[in-house]
Amino acid sequence: MEKELTTESYIQHHLTNLTCGKTPDGWTCDPYKVDQMGFWAFHVDSLFWSIALGALFIFVFKMAIPKTTDSNSAPTGAQNFVEMCIEFVEDNVQSLFGSIKNTLIAPLALTVFVWILLMNLMDLVPVDFLPVLAGHLAYLFAGESVEWINSPESFYFKVVPTTDPNITLGMAFAVFILTIYYSITVKGVKAFIAELTLHPFGKWLIPVNFVLEMVNFIAKPISLGLRLFGNLYAGEMIFILIALMLFFSSIPIGILGFGLHLVWALFHILIVALQAFIFMALTIAYLSMAHETEEH
Amino acid sequence: MNINATLLAQAVVMIVFVAICWRYIYPPILSVMQEREKKISDGLEAAKKADDSLEEAKLAFDKELNQAKSEAAEILEKANTRASQIVGDASKKAESEAEKIMASASTAIENETNKAKEELREQMSDIIIDTTQKILGDEISKEKHEAILKKAAEEL
Repeated sequence: MEKELTTESYIQHHLTNLTCGKTPDGWTCDPYKVDQMGFWAFHVDSLFWSIALGALFIFVFKMAIPKTTDSNSAPTGAQNFVEMCIEFVEDNVQSLFGSIKNTLIAPLALTVFVWILLMNLMDLVPVDFLPVLAGHLAYLFAGESVEWINSPESFYFKVVPTTDPNITLGMAFAVFILTIYYSITVKGVKAFIAELTLHPFGKWLIPVNFVLEMVNFIAKPISLGLRLFGNLYAGEMIFILIALMLFFSSIPIGILGFGLHLVWALFHILIVALQAFIFMALTIAYLSMAHETEEH
Repeated sequence: MNINATLLAQAVVMIVFVAICWRYIYPPILSVMQEREKKISDGLEAAKKADDSLEEAKLAFDKELNQAKSEAAEILEKANTRASQIVGDASKKAESEAEKIMASASTAIENETNKAKEELREQMSDIIIDTTQKILGDEISKEKHEAILKKAAEEL
């Protein structure tokens, strides 16, 4: 199934996940059978990077825990960095969450921030490095045994997990579950249901209230996930388009592409950090809302 | 770009990572940080206290020094007045002594003078009588003219 390399196929290649799922013929990662997989399919590349970067986060922070509990020794190296992160998160939790005592919020915010930051940073790796490397490795090791890997290009590998809506919405979903959990445990089922049904029009228009409040309630996690996805997806898209400038086989355009890539990468660093921060801040904000009884 | 089970898997992965962070990562680091923070603030407080006590000690030292200085000045003044008093007394005494000596000397001189005068007077009268006897012979005797001689001696 050799395909001619066109701009369209190039972009398509970069936007397709390595998807494994169940087809009528059994489990497979064949990109041509994605349509048959239905819901029970997994984006293996996104999940791989997501888990790898999450593990990196856990590993680095675990290493940074001082071996002794002796607080007399001054922190050094990695511990300084880790403490800086924690202080940053503590400050934000303090300002958004106020006096509410909840030991989960700060670790949650820390995990979300560092993890998303790491995932976003994968965007700064030049767009072809890892997919091509992974394609060649896959072809080298599995080219003969696996039917659908018939060339390095037939192996799809998307590197930035946050450009996959499943990943961002998945995290938003986890936050959503926590929001519901705390809404019920802190406010009680009754107050929570009342909050969803008795505003804004009072008890005579409960169905209308419920629809309105439900839209409001559901919109939060969806906007949370889509915001991160949209920003990173657009950023990735621009990197791909800049990389496409090499297709013209012209030195001036290539140099221009190099310059543009540099400028966009510098600018993208800002987006990477900002989106990670926004996701964290909104996570804290939504959870603090779950702790407060709303007053209308 | 389909929504599929990746979403659920990612949610589960996230909950696992958050749980690990919540249980094993965050609390030990935070507790070390808080402990250190407490230690630092304690240290700063102790330093402030030490500073305060130093200030106090300085003040006490200054006070003591000033007191000592004023005492010394007082003692010096007293010593000065005492010295001048002693000198004054001594000079007064000396003056009076001198006066006394002068007075006694002048009395002695007067006495001497008087004595000499008396002697002179006696000798004079003797000389006069001797001479007169020699001139007048025996007509005049000391006994006969005792009264006159006495009168003359008194007039001298």
